[in-house]
Amino acid sequence: MADETVFDKKKSHRAKQAGRKAEKKKNKTKLDQSNLSARQRNPKAFAIQSAVRAERQFRRREDVISKKQHIPQVDKTPLEPPPIVVAIVGPPRVGKTTLINNLIKSFIKTNVTNTNGPITIVTSKKRRITLIECNNDVNSMIDIAKCADLVLLLCDASFGFEMEIFEFLNICQVHGMPKIMGVLTHLDMIKNAKTLKTTKKTLKHRFWTEVYSGAKLFYLSGIIHGEYLRNEIKNLSRFISVMKFRPLSWRMTHAYVLADRLEDITSQELIRKDAKVNRDVVLYGYVRGVPLMKDSSVHIAGVGDMKISELSYLPDPCPLPSKEKKRHLMERERQIYAPFAGVGGIVYDKDAVYIELQGSHSHKKEDEETNEKKALLKNVVETKETVDEQMQESGFKLFSGGAVIYPDMIKDDEYLQQNKNAESDASDSEDEGNDSDSDNDSGIDQSEKEEKKNKLPWDNNSEGGSEGEDNDDDGEMSVDGDDKQKRGVSDDEDDSDSDEEPQNEEDFGMKWKEKLGEKATEAYLDRQKTSKNIMKLVYGEFEIGNKSKNKKDEDTEEEDEELGGLFKKVTDTQKKKHKEKERLDLDECSFFYALDKPNLRDWTTETNKQFLINNFVTGKRSADEDASELLKLDDASDGDDEELYGDFEDLETGEKHKAEEKTETTQETGTKRKAELTKSEILDKKMKLKAKFDSEYDNPDDHRIKGDHSYYENLKAEALKQSELNKSVFENLDQGLRIEVEGFRPGLYVRMLFKHMPSEFVTNFDSSYPILIGALNMAEQNIGFVSCKVKKHRWYKKILKTNDPLIISLGWRRFQTLPIYSKIEDDMKCRYLKYTPEHVTCNMHFYGPITPQNTGFLALQSVNNNTNEIKQVGFRIAATGSVNEINKSTQIVKKLKLVGTPLKIYKKTAFIKDMFTTTLEVAKFEGARIKTVSGIRGQIKKALNKPEGAFRATFEDKILMSDIIFCRTWFKVDVTKFYAPVVNLLLPAGAKNAWQGMKTKGQLKREQNIKNDANTDSMYTEVNRAPKVFKPLVIPKNLQKGLPYRFKPKEKSTTLSGINPKDKFKNRIAVIKSPAEQKVSNVMKMLKTNYEKKKEVQKEATAQRLQKHKKQLEEEEWRKLKRQKELKKKICRHLSKVGNKKKPQL
Amino acid sequence: MVATVHNDLIVYKGSNFFRQRLLLATLSGRTIKIEEIRSTHDDPGLREYEVSLIRLLDKVTNGTRVELSETGTSVYYQPGILVGGQVTHSCSTQRGIGYYLEVLLALGPFCKEPLNAVLQGVTHSDLDVSVDKIKTSALPVLLKFILVDDGLELKVVRRGAPPLGGGEVVFKCPVRRSLRPLQWTQWGLVKRIRGIVYALRVSPTMANRVVDAAKGVMLNFIPDVYINTDQCRGSNAGKSPGFGISLVAETNEKTFYCAEAKSTDVGTGDITLPEDQGRECAQRLLDEIYRGGAVDSSFQWLCALWMALGQKDVSECIIGPLSDYTITFLQHLKEFFGVMFKLEVQQSGSAGEESDDEEVTPASKVKMTCVGIGYVNISKRTL
Repeated sequence: MADETVFDKKKSHRAKQAGRKAEKKKNKTKLDQSNLSARQRNPKAFAIQSAVRAERQFRRREDVISKKQHIPQVDKTPLEPPPIVVAIVGPPRVGKTTLINNLIKSFIKTNVTNTNGPITIVTSKKRRITLIECNNDVNSMIDIAKCADLVLLLCDASFGFEMEIFEFLNICQVHGMPKIMGVLTHLDMIKNAKTLKTTKKTLKHRFWTEVYSGAKLFYLSGIIHGEYLRNEIKNLSRFISVMKFRPLSWRMTHAYVLADRLEDITSQELIRKDAKVNRDVVLYGYVRGVPLMKDSSVHIAGVGDMKISELSYLPDPCPLPSKEKKRHLMERERQIYAPFAGVGGIVYDKDAVYIELQGSHSHKKEDEETNEKKALLKNVVETKETVDEQMQESGFKLFSGGAVIYPDMIKDDEYLQQNKNAESDASDSEDEGNDSDSDNDSGIDQSEKEEKKNKLPWDNNSEGGSEGEDNDDDGEMSVDGDDKQKRGVSDDEDDSDSDEEPQNEEDFGMKWKEKLGEKATEAYLDRQKTSKNIMKLVYGEFEIGNKSKNKKDEDTEEEDEELGGLFKKVTDTQKKKHKEKERLDLDECSFFYALDKPNLRDWTTETNKQFLINNFVTGKRSADEDASELLKLDDASDGDDEELYGDFEDLETGEKHKAEEKTETTQETGTKRKAELTKSEILDKKMKLKAKFDSEYDNPDDHRIKGDHSYYENLKAEALKQSELNKSVFENLDQGLRIEVEGFRPGLYVRMLFKHMPSEFVTNFDSSYPILIGALNMAEQNIGFVSCKVKKHRWYKKILKTNDPLIISLGWRRFQTLPIYSKIEDDMKCRYLKYTPEHVTCNMHFYGPITPQNTGFLALQSVNNNTNEIKQVGFRIAATGSVNEINKSTQIVKKLKLVGTPLKIYKKTAFIKDMFTTTLEVAKFEGARIKTVSGIRGQIKKALNKPEGAFRATFEDKILMSDIIFCRTWFKVDVTKFYAPVVNLLLPAGAKNAWQGMKTKGQLKREQNIKNDANTDSMYTEVNRAPKVFKPLVIPKNLQKGLPYRFKPKEKSTTLSGINPKDKFKNRIAVIKSPAEQKVSNVMKMLKTNYEKKKEVQKEATAQRLQKHKKQLEEEEWRKLKRQKELKKKICRHLSKVGNKKKPQL
Repeated sequence: MVATVHNDLIVYKGSNFFRQRLLLATLSGRTIKIEEIRSTHDDPGLREYEVSLIRLLDKVTNGTRVELSETGTSVYYQPGILVGGQVTHSCSTQRGIGYYLEVLLALGPFCKEPLNAVLQGVTHSDLDVSVDKIKTSALPVLLKFILVDDGLELKVVRRGAPPLGGGEVVFKCPVRRSLRPLQWTQWGLVKRIRGIVYALRVSPTMANRVVDAAKGVMLNFIPDVYINTDQCRGSNAGKSPGFGISLVAETNEKTFYCAEAKSTDVGTGDITLPEDQGRECAQRLLDEIYRGGAVDSSFQWLCALWMALGQKDVSECIIGPLSDYTITFLQHLKEFFGVMFKLEVQQSGSAGEESDDEEVTPASKVKMTCVGIGYVNISKRTL
């Protein structure tokens, strides 16, 4: 046996050389399977084994996909984005400043002495960040939450999370959650390794529940030489520089600026005269969010609503490195800009020169001397301005003996203005070193600038501006003619105008006919021609970019040149004014030719028909649309393609026939609309189409069943397309014009001048407070009634009372207002609530700034940093919510029961009094439903005239005099119009966190120690109760009889008065009668006895008589019955006799 | 012309563009004052139709404050919140219903509740676009901005010719939170001509004669011409006699050009020949087609308004040559909203290549590009 096993070697497998299997295998190897997917090689393995499981898999996949989907948003980040705002937030003494210092050192390798205000640094080739520290003031926390993109939330691990952190997180949630990174510091304070581990874990999980699970929490394990560990900071900075951000809805609709520099440019003289004079303040910062429009009003958080009186952009003080390809940032490109902290490069601008003092010198407060120096420097820096002004003042002579011409004089001439504009624009672009010249379509023509040289100011009649308004003014027409001739000369310069020329010549001939219609016709024909500087035609002379227009009042110019003493020469200004006056009161009409109908061209004539014929589907199409052309090209290209598109040929040919016919008929008339595309272009197009087709239909890799996500994909594609368009459409535009059209796009560094700022803003300036300037969209500067839903924060200890002042942070603003809480009933009625309910949302109405719906807000009862108060309240955020609706009036009602009593009651009618006081009131309530307490319903009918205010009412049943009658009504409650912005930035430096607005009534009373008199009804008084007296126990006689002796009441029985009736007379005095009286009483006694005897006898006699009478009656009755019986007998007998007689006959 | 701004109050002079100014003030929520309204005229102050417009605006808003001076030559207008809802308004017969309807059309998408307005008055007027034109040509423009048509409707219940009117229309407009950005640079080719001829209190043959004449012209260009006649009877015909035509050219990119003509008012003494009217209207339509663009020339301003009121995205639209009204409207848009359009003249086709036959120059087109101001409907309620 054993031997056998040893020797029994298994026979090795020998593959079949012939037969079915061998053939199969041969076939398999014959195909080249190297580039096939596993699925194609072995389709069986991928076949669906179980339909149920496949279905489940599919469903799960779809679930996962749809969970990932968000509504696609148009990405609005500009090509050169503004620096990312990184806010460092935390309670005091957790190491915020140290962290900022370390971060700056790690990014740009310099030390800063001061971390006040925003610090902008370049961190990488494509990214800049603005670091800002948040101080421990709830106002700053709110403002920071509104502008921060990334928050580093610092927490002392040895202490744990403090209330400020939760408050800040809550503020963030309300105003749009920025990215939040937790940073745990002071970890070295925990000595025990195990406690360290558990602390980290618990803190992490607590943090996750607040932010989201998986949120990044950094550990800074300790401080060495006053600095955090280098590689930990390095890690943190890496995280910061790769962070991605999601757009937040409020910031994607509003522009905002976090000011990083402030200058007071009020003239020193004014300040000297009055230190409290309103200041002109310039603020600088990067535009963020969306483009900032020039004349939008803004809200400066902590100051109030302001109007930007001047807005211009400046060269970036902290620019991104140049576009050259390189791996790292150069050392000199690692820039820092932080005027409030006292660092930054040398910056020149309109108001001041700013010089960096590397670290060793700290920024000192500006005193008088530096201000003077600044003023001096300002003069030097403003050279650009002064050149302009000099130009303004210098005049020149054209001809010898001619008048000197000043720029102001020709200001009113439209044409020159345009030229000037163009010129100034050119100079502008030169100044900035931008070589981008305005192109033709921007409205500022290069060609015109050239033309300017050979044109005099007055030989031109503003061709663009007045075409539509030509009037029948002879003199002007001649000027017009001249102009046309001149243009004929100058037109060879710009060839694009050449095709318009013959038309003009024709017009020239017609011009002399003095006919209104003709004039209008001509004007309108002209309009249809190219009008190149159309933007000027529409907007006139507009400010371009930084240039501000010098407005001159035309009214001041009143010199009329006299010609020959009689006629006044009509100057251009006057003409314009005249025209304007004519237009002033015209009828408004939106037609193309408003009021004067021109003679139209006759479109039916052959020549004119050609203008039009191609606007119809029957006309000839452009080359890339014309089917026949395309087919021809198809034929020309190789045959493979034809095969590919064979499917479509049927359709195409059908159309083709049609198209050809038409083209034949209109062979002479129709002309090509568009240049033929070259063959290669069309081939390109075709290849693209083919690729698209392939990608759509041949998808060999993945044979999985897929859900239909085309709707989502389309949305996404649309959003992408829009964002690309947003970026590209103004790309080539001149910078100045671009800003006009688009606004100051995010990423630009702007200078904003605010006039008439309160002086306290400057004098009490504290750079540790952020200056947030938020733009207000349309209608948001207005104030109205805001209705919102609100929920009291569950950590806030008190409930909120209606009409108690509340500080609300909504949009950019923080303000105090008086809210009214209400509840929406089922019939959409807002019912007044005196207090906020707990744990449920309710409605809140207040008078405040108009803010778009769904904007979140939070409410505080006080922004005061009084530690006692905070300790008392615990959590400062009283409520959170969002805006529901805006209106100009409110409809909040309160239930009101009017009570009356019946005066007189008839059957179902009753007169009711006390419900109203006057007849007028009753009249208002006629027909109202009323009700008694017992539920009898009725109606108010009419007022009575006697007791004033009484009325007649009918009820469904008779009411009682004791009934009370109710009338249930609704009483409208008005919202108090109180709105006070929190102006904490104007408060003195130390007390910025102590803003105190309106106080609650309770607060005031507590402060002034006023106590209400208590309601006497509610007061406690001594209770005096009389002892209870019970009724005597009375046992009925029958019961007494049956009782055993011991229970039988004995002689002495108690009564109410407590005296035995037997003893009643005990105390009485015995009466002894006189003999006469005795005699009388004896007689009386005898008489009585006698009388009684007599009565007794009488009674007996009566009884006997009655008995007798009864007997008699009975006897009589008996006799009567007997007689009746006999009679009956007789009758019956007779009847029976009669019956017997009749029977036989039947 | 130019507005002066005092402390957020915009002051204008003159009665012209009264409607534009009130409309934009209502939308922007800015207070305006218009002074010197016909102050030098024999009949100074506001006209009846302008007062009627103020009334209408008061009906669709809440919290509007209007102060008229004693002479009526100056108006102070502080707009409220747009409410919409059910509105009935009998318009002044001095102007057509179109005067009021255009305002409602512009305001409609921004109301608190869907607008359901009944307007009574003159449906066809010389000065204003007729209700037919708004229905056929302006509603498709709005549809481009709101995309989904849930209840956008204009129904002509009765027609009424000037001077007495007696017409009635019902306008319903849905409410939107914001408008979509629009890219409309293709307008395609005219594929069909439709039209409607109405005859109010005149012989029905008039209508047929108008149709014949108009068709005669249009058939030169395209075979697909179909014109309806609307013979109104009894109360449906309004109070005054008259007849008119409105022609619509539809392109394959859903652009509708519309032209119209109407008979002269009764009592003026002039007589309109139906044939002339038909021909004139056809000519006007051809003129409109020649001007081209994605929007009918009368509604350029509406398109511009809705583009400006869009989200903060780029909108572009190519239109025919700008009308005076549109130019002023664009100026006003800048004053009220601070929005400026980039306007470029499209060198249509290839000017260089077609120098050989320079006869064929289509009217220059203007490309309007703007960034919306991010206007949202603040009156709508969210739950």
